[in-house]
Amino acid sequence: MSGYAELHCLSNFTFQRGASSAMELFQRAKQQGYEALAITDECTLAGIVRAWQASKKVELPLIVGSEMAIENGPRLVVLVETLEGYQNLCRMISAARGRAEKGTYRLLHEDLQGSRSGLLALWLPDSTCTLAHGHWLKSVFADRLWLAVELHQGPDDRQRLRQLSAAAAVLGIPMTASGDVHMHARGRRALQDTMTAIRHHCTVAEAGFRLFPNGERHLRSLETLVERYLAELMAETLQIAQRCQFGLDQLEYEYPHEVVGPGHTPTSWLRQLTEQGIRNRWPEGITPDTRTQIEKELALIAELKYESYFLTVQDVVVFARSQGILCQGRGSAANSAVCFALGITELDPSRVNLLFERFISRERNEPPDIDVDFEHERREEVIQYVFKRYGRHRAAITAVASTYHGAGAVRDVAKALGLPPDQVNALADCCGRWTDQLPPPERLREAGFDPESPIIHKVMVLTGELIGFPRHLSQHPGGFVISEQPLTTLVPVENASMPGRTVIQWDKDDLDLVGLLKVDILALGMLTALRRCFDLIAGYRRRPPLTIANIPAEDARTYEMISRADTMGVFQIESRAQMSMLPRLRPEKFYDLVIEVAIVRPGPIVGDMVHPYLRRRNGQEDVTYPNDKLKKVFERTLGVPLFQEQVMELAIVAADYTPGEADQLRRSMAAWKRHGGLEPHQKKLMERMRKNGYTTEFATRIFEQIKGFGSYGFPESHAASFALITYASCWLKCHEPAAFTAALINSWPMGFYSPDQLLQNARRHGIGTLPVDVRYSDWDCTLEGPERGGQPSIRMGMRMIRGFREADAQRICQARARAAFTDVDDLSRRADLERRAAEQLADAGALRSLAGHRHRARWAVSGIEAQRPLFDELPAAQEIKVALPLPTAGEDLQADYSTLGTTLGQHPIAMLRSALRAQRCRSSRDLRNIEHGRFISVAGLVVGRQRPGTAGGTTFVTLEDEFGMVNVVVWRDLCERQRRPLLESRLMKVEGRLESENNVIHLIARRLYDLTPLLTGLDVRSRDFH
Amino acid sequence: MRWACILFPQLALDGVLRHREQSEVPLALISGTPQRRVVHALNPAARALGLKSGMSLTAAQALSTAFETAEYDLGAIERWQAFLAAWAYGFSSQVSLHYPRALVLEVESSLGLFGPWPRFEARLRDELAALGFRHRITLAPNPVAARILANAHDGLAISSQSELHERLGRMPVERLGLPRDVATAFSRMGLRSFRQVLGLPRDTLARRFPAELLRHLDTLLGRRGIALQCYLPPDEFDARIELNFDVESNQALLFPVRRLIADLAAFLAGRDCGVQRFSLLLEHRSLPDTQMPVGLLGIEREADVLFELTRGRLEQLEVPAPVLAVRLVARDLPEFLPERRELFDERPQQNLSWERLRERLRSRLGDEAVSDIKARADHRPESAWQAGEFRGSTEALPSAQCRPGWLLRAPEPFTEGDMRILAGPERIESGWWDHNDQCRHYFWVETQSGRRAWVYRPLKEGGPLLLQGWLS
Repeated sequence: MSGYAELHCLSNFTFQRGASSAMELFQRAKQQGYEALAITDECTLAGIVRAWQASKKVELPLIVGSEMAIENGPRLVVLVETLEGYQNLCRMISAARGRAEKGTYRLLHEDLQGSRSGLLALWLPDSTCTLAHGHWLKSVFADRLWLAVELHQGPDDRQRLRQLSAAAAVLGIPMTASGDVHMHARGRRALQDTMTAIRHHCTVAEAGFRLFPNGERHLRSLETLVERYLAELMAETLQIAQRCQFGLDQLEYEYPHEVVGPGHTPTSWLRQLTEQGIRNRWPEGITPDTRTQIEKELALIAELKYESYFLTVQDVVVFARSQGILCQGRGSAANSAVCFALGITELDPSRVNLLFERFISRERNEPPDIDVDFEHERREEVIQYVFKRYGRHRAAITAVASTYHGAGAVRDVAKALGLPPDQVNALADCCGRWTDQLPPPERLREAGFDPESPIIHKVMVLTGELIGFPRHLSQHPGGFVISEQPLTTLVPVENASMPGRTVIQWDKDDLDLVGLLKVDILALGMLTALRRCFDLIAGYRRRPPLTIANIPAEDARTYEMISRADTMGVFQIESRAQMSMLPRLRPEKFYDLVIEVAIVRPGPIVGDMVHPYLRRRNGQEDVTYPNDKLKKVFERTLGVPLFQEQVMELAIVAADYTPGEADQLRRSMAAWKRHGGLEPHQKKLMERMRKNGYTTEFATRIFEQIKGFGSYGFPESHAASFALITYASCWLKCHEPAAFTAALINSWPMGFYSPDQLLQNARRHGIGTLPVDVRYSDWDCTLEGPERGGQPSIRMGMRMIRGFREADAQRICQARARAAFTDVDDLSRRADLERRAAEQLADAGALRSLAGHRHRARWAVSGIEAQRPLFDELPAAQEIKVALPLPTAGEDLQADYSTLGTTLGQHPIAMLRSALRAQRCRSSRDLRNIEHGRFISVAGLVVGRQRPGTAGGTTFVTLEDEFGMVNVVVWRDLCERQRRPLLESRLMKVEGRLESENNVIHLIARRLYDLTPLLTGLDVRSRDFH
Repeated sequence: MRWACILFPQLALDGVLRHREQSEVPLALISGTPQRRVVHALNPAARALGLKSGMSLTAAQALSTAFETAEYDLGAIERWQAFLAAWAYGFSSQVSLHYPRALVLEVESSLGLFGPWPRFEARLRDELAALGFRHRITLAPNPVAARILANAHDGLAISSQSELHERLGRMPVERLGLPRDVATAFSRMGLRSFRQVLGLPRDTLARRFPAELLRHLDTLLGRRGIALQCYLPPDEFDARIELNFDVESNQALLFPVRRLIADLAAFLAGRDCGVQRFSLLLEHRSLPDTQMPVGLLGIEREADVLFELTRGRLEQLEVPAPVLAVRLVARDLPEFLPERRELFDERPQQNLSWERLRERLRSRLGDEAVSDIKARADHRPESAWQAGEFRGSTEALPSAQCRPGWLLRAPEPFTEGDMRILAGPERIESGWWDHNDQCRHYFWVETQSGRRAWVYRPLKEGGPLLLQGWLS
């Protein structure tokens, strides 16, 4: 029996066409006894790294190629023979993609004429092709062209073969067999049809002849192929496969050379910069310990040849610093002493006991990973710097292969099967947006579907197949790939949907496998707020300017504030869940914050690690370790695994994993929910742990914890960097609350809380707040005062006026700087305000000092006449004064909320307090003095409703009154019974039992009442998180 | 002159509800893109569930799933308004559609026929109630005032200018029909009622607001005239009711048909004409409409008579599939002269139109004997064509390569023993989505007698060769 190599095969990276993954294709091809398999996705190499992995795994050679259609020309498959051919293919794809819209391509004749060496071509004649196409291809590829014979049991295959043979004879080119494979097995026919319908935005029934007439386009058995094809044609495939010897391991990536100073090697240059940094960071001299650590790190970096990577990151950070952009590195290698010296991180290595080897390791074949966060409003400057410094051809953003999740998959499938839009939506609601699991039958029944019905059954089966398939390429939030040679020698480059950006076709995991390094340039709102806060403080405090690094460390008052959960607005530990943890955890030192940042996350919560840790920390449970080796791993978290790194270390220490295996374990942990694949680790871990003398019970518990961790486990290296920013923001909130609040509002939107909540919180801390006023306000919130070292007051900025434009505010400030405004006319003329802007100022109360109360201000503003330059000097015609009604307190409150989103007057609940007291409602202030377990009522504005996925249907409602917040817990059955008051109330009264422990106060709801009618006329927005 | 305004506060909803027998079932009208469906209008039962207009459908479903939905259709609202105008045309020759979801009509000149006003008003209300439209009616010396007063009143009839001033003065500014920004500006100045606005010096208003404001206020008070475009009735009646469930029995069709006929009668009365021929179309999911022409001996317009005749036809009709919608079309609307008798029938009898030929063929050979053939894009031969209602179309069928010109109605066993295979197998494997997944090997064969046949072998079930068609 003759052998066969498949030369024309699409994987699911030909979006909406290929109906099998590379792994499925390779496994099947191996089973069928193929000699090699080409992956020829349409004008893309986005799936080639995955194909390469699959090929290595099943030990079947991969041929790299691509199927393409030339504009107004033939269709062909291009196969890569050599490295040069690969680079030509990358250039061709980049050119074709570069001139078309995202997701499409335009390949022109000239693209092939220049760059064809190292490439073989198969002509795919279709119904529209002509002999002229063949002649042209032959003129381009000469003896490297074949005519592909693809027989799929059409109306008359013999006739077709005769026609093709005749054409080949005329052209004088050889023929070869190939399969036009779209799926690994015939069983994917329904999915392939469905994808075709999705691609054409129609239903399967409407797709008609756009569907293939049968399921022949799969990897057929050799017996079948022998029946269909002549032996010569089969033999030719092997000849071609034999010639294609290129493999991705031949790619050679080099770091950019320009980050190294003239006359230096990367090693000597990194040494020089590090020594410079040491002098800046430790002007009084470095401790021997730190010196040793730096030497150790430098040696390791040199050994692994990572110098250029550190230098590249350092270069970006230096730029940011020169522009006054705040940044902070995090990730596996970021929190090293070298990175501290280089300025990549502000985290002094002596503050945390983080071992460098834990993050970068000799044996673990894992590239270093440094993410750098920048101020969110200025990150684009950094990105454009990278493009400018290295050029568009050498720097590009990493792709993300977005995959189908449950809801998206079910939506597309149901649409293709012709379900009406409302049912499509209802089905999508049954699947979570991010889960990759099919909804259980009960959930479908709840939503009114019959899971047994044939149509729903089909939808579910196809959805199950589609989940996890790549759907389109999008751009990574900030991952950059920078290279010495043009990137197109490594990988095709595409346009991003955002102008001014280019994206490579590979995603992060692909880069790791091919050995390309990426630098993450990310955006973080809190850094913007911190920089603004530093700037504001510099305006009124005489002291050296603050930075993240020189904020006084380990400040007791700051930790005290954190332990009170007085953390609204700070980084990371401001959510309701975090706040209820703080008084129990009572952080006292920096490492406690690292733990706090990591512990209130789905991973530890689902893995049930929170309570054991709390009990041990509070001395309610003994801290024990099975042995000394594990003590070393878990000591810093009191024996409870909290970090990803600990799980890896555990595997190494207790189950004899190599660092490489441990890294695989980390990857499987992240992916098991979606793809499974933890089973081999389960077996390996349990067996080896038992062998090492651990009990089965202990091993099982550990494994369950690892599973619970899943994709949510948080790495310690990131937690440490975050904790530093958390500490900085807490210190500022504690010592400079006015500046901190103003900076947060000026950086809004960010964080959990609205400007209104932040201002109320500031007032409760005794900070003065001043209204928006055109005579004093800037665009941003500013500070006024302070008197003698106290706290300044916050002057609300014009940015708080809804819909007001920044340019108008700037003109007001400029005009005001020349002379104070005399009246509304003067303001409007000199600041060149349109009527609309002036009206917004009037309604917001910002003209009070020029025109009186809101009604009069609006009347005055509307009376401003269009500019009359000729008669400018003449006094405006005198108008009779009209009497307008004074706004009531309620009207003012309503106007405040609708124009500014906040009020400096009374809190709405304060206005209703006597009515609420008559209903026996307590205030949030009263709760602090009521003992645990009492049955009480409270009422407040509903400012939040959350139903976290980890809480089993419980809804957390946050109520706000004039004194603060009340946390209400609504169990699932009450949610069901009182849906309407729960979902509809803006003002809610809750009867329930008070739970008060360690200063954490919750109200367990027994009954809810909707008191919204009391609020008639107020504009109060609830922020819902579902 | 005196003008009445009839405001339809929930026209879209009534338009849908009047086609439903159980109007107390919670119902929400939905609009918006498939991604963001928004509740637009609600009946009281749905409101009682806590639904509110403006809510997203998802939010509504979070509250309750026990409500029905229908599409909020702007086109339908316009059609209903036009329908109501045709009805109102029976009472006044000056009916205006100037305001959306409302009619204004001049009634002074009709008072002699239908008056006095209270009696006239009662009649309007009775008829509207019978037609199934909720309404508010006001009467004022000018059409603008009538329309504006209807924003806050029902049944208010104003005859004097001073009373008009008094009533309008009490109206809140938001309800004066002012552009939204003007109304907002007034309320932001603390001006709540029309009286407060009128109290301001005219020049201060002129300085602050566009000239249209003063013009609008003047027309409202009757100081300026307004020219409204008057409604002209259309020349044909065409109305459709979508059923909210599949109707299989003819009996269940009677309710919507009675509605349609009542609407037709109201239309005919408004236009003072009659009908002699109309057709009823029953729409199905996948089959073409069933047409039921109704012809009368004479010109008629009484709802009961028309309905009885139609009912007789309908009961005999065989409906091939569940009915999704019913449509009534009357194109020929002769003047209605009840006393006329057909003494001399002058219609020519010789010329047979296509339509009549079809009818004759059908009546001789049976309804199913005549049909059209249409091509459908489908790989399965038996699904690749479709017999449709005969329309006499001459559209060419796409030429299908390698397909026989004569396909058997249903495949039958191929019994000829000796044959020669000319081509094949061609594999056809398709149709999993509609419960008719086929997997077959097709061959062209030549029989001993030289005839060419297209035969197949089903791959799943096995069995003998089946004949699909002949080369003709």
